[in-house]
Amino acid sequence: MAIHKTCDGMQRRDFLRVGAVGASSLSLGSFLKMSEAGQVNQAAKAKSAIFINLPGGPSHMDTFDLKPDAPDEYRGEFQPIQTKIPGIEISEHLPKLASSMDKFVILRGVSHTLAAHRLGSEYVNSGNRPLPSLEFPGYGAVVTRELGGPADLPPFVSIPRSNQRPGYLGVKYAPLHTNTTPQPGRAYSVRGISLGNGLTISDVEKRQSLLSSLDTTFAGFEKDNQLLDGLDRFSQQAYSMITSKRARDAFDVSLESPQFADQFGEGAFGQSCLLASRLVEAGVRFVTVSTGGWDTHRDNWDKLKTNLLPSFDEGLSALLNGLEQKGLLESTAVYVTGEFGRTPKINQERGGRDHYPRCMFMLMAGGGISGGRVLGESDDKATEPLNDGFTPDDVAASFYHNIGIDHTKEYHTNTGRPVMIVREGNVIEELFS
Amino acid sequence: MKRPTLTSNFRFFSILAFVGVMCTGLTQESGADDVIASLRDRFQSADVSEIPDFQKHVVPLMGRLGCNGRACHGSFQGQGGFRLSLFGYDFEMDHEGLSDRIDTDDPMESYALQKPTLIEPHEGGKRMSVGEWEHTVFLKWIEGGAKGVETPLKLNALRVTPSEIEFSASHQSQPLSVTAVWADGTEEDVTCLCRYTTNDETICQVDEDGIVSSGEVGDSHIVVAYDGAVVPIPVLRPVSEKTGDNFPELAATTMIDKHVVNKLSKMGIIPSETSTDAEFLRRVSLDMTGTLPTAKEVREFLADSSADKRERKIDELLESPAYAAWWTTQLCDWTGCSDQTLNNVNPANRQRGSEDWYEWIYKRVADNVPYDEIVENIVVANSRKPGESYRDYSERMSTYARDEDASYADQDGLIYFWGRNNFRATEDRAIGFAYTFMGTRIQCAQCHKHPFDVWTQKDFQEFEQFFTRVNFARNGGDRKEYNELIEELGLAELKGNEQRREMSKALKEGKTIPFPELTISQPRLTGAQRRKIAEAKKKGKKPQVPGKMARLLGEQTVDVDNIDDPRTALMDWLRQSPTQLFAKAFVNRVWASYFNRGIVEPTDDLSLGNPPSNGPLLDYLAQGFIDSGYDMKWVHREICLSDTYQRSWRPTETNIHDERNFSRAVPRRLPAEVAYDAITMATLNDDRAELFTSELDGRALTQTSPPRNARGGIDYALSVFGRSTRESNCDCDRSSEASLLQTLFVRNDDDTLDMLESRNGWLSSVSRQSQDESTNAAVKRRVENLERRMAQLQRQLKKAEKDKNKRLVSNLEKQLATVELQLLPLTEKQTANEEQPSEQDLESLIEEAYLRTVSRFPSEAEQTIAMTYLNDSEDLNAGIKDLMWALLNTKEFLVNH
Repeated sequence: MAIHKTCDGMQRRDFLRVGAVGASSLSLGSFLKMSEAGQVNQAAKAKSAIFINLPGGPSHMDTFDLKPDAPDEYRGEFQPIQTKIPGIEISEHLPKLASSMDKFVILRGVSHTLAAHRLGSEYVNSGNRPLPSLEFPGYGAVVTRELGGPADLPPFVSIPRSNQRPGYLGVKYAPLHTNTTPQPGRAYSVRGISLGNGLTISDVEKRQSLLSSLDTTFAGFEKDNQLLDGLDRFSQQAYSMITSKRARDAFDVSLESPQFADQFGEGAFGQSCLLASRLVEAGVRFVTVSTGGWDTHRDNWDKLKTNLLPSFDEGLSALLNGLEQKGLLESTAVYVTGEFGRTPKINQERGGRDHYPRCMFMLMAGGGISGGRVLGESDDKATEPLNDGFTPDDVAASFYHNIGIDHTKEYHTNTGRPVMIVREGNVIEELFS
Repeated sequence: MKRPTLTSNFRFFSILAFVGVMCTGLTQESGADDVIASLRDRFQSADVSEIPDFQKHVVPLMGRLGCNGRACHGSFQGQGGFRLSLFGYDFEMDHEGLSDRIDTDDPMESYALQKPTLIEPHEGGKRMSVGEWEHTVFLKWIEGGAKGVETPLKLNALRVTPSEIEFSASHQSQPLSVTAVWADGTEEDVTCLCRYTTNDETICQVDEDGIVSSGEVGDSHIVVAYDGAVVPIPVLRPVSEKTGDNFPELAATTMIDKHVVNKLSKMGIIPSETSTDAEFLRRVSLDMTGTLPTAKEVREFLADSSADKRERKIDELLESPAYAAWWTTQLCDWTGCSDQTLNNVNPANRQRGSEDWYEWIYKRVADNVPYDEIVENIVVANSRKPGESYRDYSERMSTYARDEDASYADQDGLIYFWGRNNFRATEDRAIGFAYTFMGTRIQCAQCHKHPFDVWTQKDFQEFEQFFTRVNFARNGGDRKEYNELIEELGLAELKGNEQRREMSKALKEGKTIPFPELTISQPRLTGAQRRKIAEAKKKGKKPQVPGKMARLLGEQTVDVDNIDDPRTALMDWLRQSPTQLFAKAFVNRVWASYFNRGIVEPTDDLSLGNPPSNGPLLDYLAQGFIDSGYDMKWVHREICLSDTYQRSWRPTETNIHDERNFSRAVPRRLPAEVAYDAITMATLNDDRAELFTSELDGRALTQTSPPRNARGGIDYALSVFGRSTRESNCDCDRSSEASLLQTLFVRNDDDTLDMLESRNGWLSSVSRQSQDESTNAAVKRRVENLERRMAQLQRQLKKAEKDKNKRLVSNLEKQLATVELQLLPLTEKQTANEEQPSEQDLESLIEEAYLRTVSRFPSEAEQTIAMTYLNDSEDLNAGIKDLMWALLNTKEFLVNH
């Protein structure tokens, strides 16, 4: 694995070579531009990605963007604590993430304007502001289309479900939903892949051979018909997936060593993170993990400190550390976000905070991103970004960039309309420096 | 000028008439005398004195050179600070942009000339050279003062010759010659100024000079665009030598067949044979009613030897509830019925929106109400009855919402269409309206000239004006009465969801709550206008509002401020427009559902640049539909009775690659709801399977909407199989592609495996009792559980009856019936005989499995394979289960063929 990171996940040696060969006009900036255009994307280190969605919209002011000096009607009751990186402080209820601060980047002052759950969620799950006339594909669908996956594994898995839809790319890029989350130490199975109803591999093989001998009505015509040909190909793939030990094992978290598994705790989110790390290790291209409950209009602090933050803290820190222990952090792009932040001004009546897209946080890690930093900044009451701030489009462009996909690539929708993967965003270059 | 002669083969050119552009197929020799020579010829030498025209020459030339393309200055951000309108036609903007870059005092020094000739560096590369005719045209225009366009000249017609091209081999070529006929009577050769595109580059290609060259066999179009006109030119290369007189005599039973065979004989495509009875029954049942035939139905149909059995079957299916359910589902797709977009349109209950919508359409489809009438009651739907106050209206709606037996179907109109939250902005309405009722995509024209149709951004904006006065008012149109109602309910202090929850409670308690309503607002007036009206009134004159003009997409102009409800003009237009897009969109979508594709494909892209693969066929169906009084069943019968529909999927030598001329049945994946129901029905026991067809309980076909939050259950399967998401004004919201997850679902999902093993399943009803003690014990336990459940339900039912809770009673009755049905096979099972099945028994079981799944008897070879498998199976029940599993997983099962 490369050690000399300069910018952009590129090895120093490569950079010098480009610098020497290229004309004098090939500055770092234009190299970056070229690399954004997908011409040097082999330099991207991340080969897989994990997207963690926090539906409901977590409060930025009580997690990663505290304002201890803000007036009482804003600040909230939590205290900041020091993290492993001097100068970076986060909420006292995130102690494990505080000690793993070197592995991820906090983006503060991310900003948009969609305060409804559904619209906000579509935005952060696709990197494109929703349009009524077009459904944008989620990240996983795009990554699956661009990078594919091994034949005996589903390329795109969502734990337990996801707001990422295939949009205009079509159902063949839809995620496999696990629908449930694993239980600690128990064998885990997933609909459609694991063998249910008491079936064994030999049953499946027997059935398969019966099927092959009976499925002959269209024999000889398959190659001339896209649908029939497709059905045959998917049939082959499904068979290898169901009978593949690798696929079954990838989902079975009980096969993980106890030392490794223990750090993920017993909660649903931690177990989902454990499963995500296993799937990525097996070769699954894209995994989403969703954990809800963040819509804290009422009893914000109570809910955060008793439930939401402890399990999030445990799960995410275990995921980042676990990926590193397995040597996967550098090849896995991680992106954590809700659909918006929450109102800096406290809703006194209900003891909560309401929807607030103008200022929120996001987390990025893995691949070519070096952790231990805060990028962007919000104002003194966390009501809006200082300076320009970031948009979800920028973060999306960076996420794609991290996994080697050119976000300016154009697809054609079914209506013939040309659409870029991310229409408005720019890669946040500091992430990769 | 010679009069053009119309060739009847190209009737689809008549669609051009509505844009005021007369386009006709012409014989080659016409018109040549008075035509001005092409710009290229006139500007060969630099000493020409003519000054080119901005509209006629300069803008089209920039198109030819690629300046206003999307990747160049046509991009919305412009390029290098210079922006042109995409695909031209915004003369003002283009002129303004250019003006900054030209120098009329020293034309050669113009920046706009130096960039494309690379005198100055140009990112877009070299587009022309000094001294070439293109350069001379620009130069002369600048020298002549670089004038723009004051009033655009009207293009009367764009004549393209030849009007059709037939190639006989690959690598042949044929130049096109294009003449612009302007309103002032001048005609000019504009061949070198048109934008040419091919609709299928494997079949034909075209270069910038209009030279068409041939590729593979097949047929497509070259689209010629110049100024406001778009003209498609059919290009075909026959598949075989069997064209014209060499084409075999084929009986063409119906008008559809005549039109289809006519095209096939041009293409040299021999159509497939007639399908077998079994193929026909399965196909027509799935297509028309979204339902597999039952095993019994297949047996009966195959045994029937009467000549008219297909026709009788079609009529029988058209009367079935499943027909109404399946086509209601499709109408809900096109009209966009979705809980996701229907927030609180019915304050009684969040889910009621889509239920109301579905019921409203279902009743009308079942009653075969004329299509135009259904649409009229959507397009001009009103909330209040004449003379009704807002309070009266809310009272009426509250009474309806409380009444468990009342159906929204009894309302006159469906206002919800206007209440969707993706149908609020006027531009969304313009786009959505054109999509739903005209099968047309006008969204391109929202931002720029439509590249494949005549519409400009101005046309779009003028069309938008029809929608500005239509409001879906969540709090009603009468502020005062609304506030009073809220006061009376004591809910003035509450907001948002809390208020809504309380309202829902109040409704149940018998109170009147305010309902959302559709209103038409008064035109907005300035103070001066208002005074003028007041004066007119004083003088006893009928006041005329100096109204806003709206235009029906390139047709007549309507003063929308001086009619009570602008929507009535839209409805009249749907019925009367010479384009017949309203009728065409419907028949084309129905056609697409019976065949692999529409006569125009995609079905929501009826446009000049995307002409039908068989124009006369589409015209015939549209006209027939109108003449029948928009009788939807007429369309279904007409299609299903044709030989064309009843052809086999087995290809002939010449039609194996044909997908657009309807010479055979192209295998298609079953649509989501149909696929799910087919799996369910194939695995259900006989009694349940019949109920599944006759009653529609639990059918995927009766799902009213994609759910807000898909939580597994039936929704998982339906989304995997690509049911319509109904959210983006696109027929592509429904998907019929195959996917890995679909295959995994049928092969190995617990839902499917459970269906196979269900107590209500066919397998349970035929399985032999096992000797195994533990199974007996399990059955016993199951029976006890079910009996307990039954007793519990009976108690609840008694109570519900006492409370007169009708909805609950009917719900409980249904549950009870389900439990009884579950119990039945189990109690039989406990007493079932234990004899070994005979060979004959096995044969009939295999037959039954085939009839249930692929709706035909097994072939001898299949019978043998299956028999061998069963005989080799240690456990017979498991063997039959394997057989059923295998049949469900054949391509033949999941495909309509």
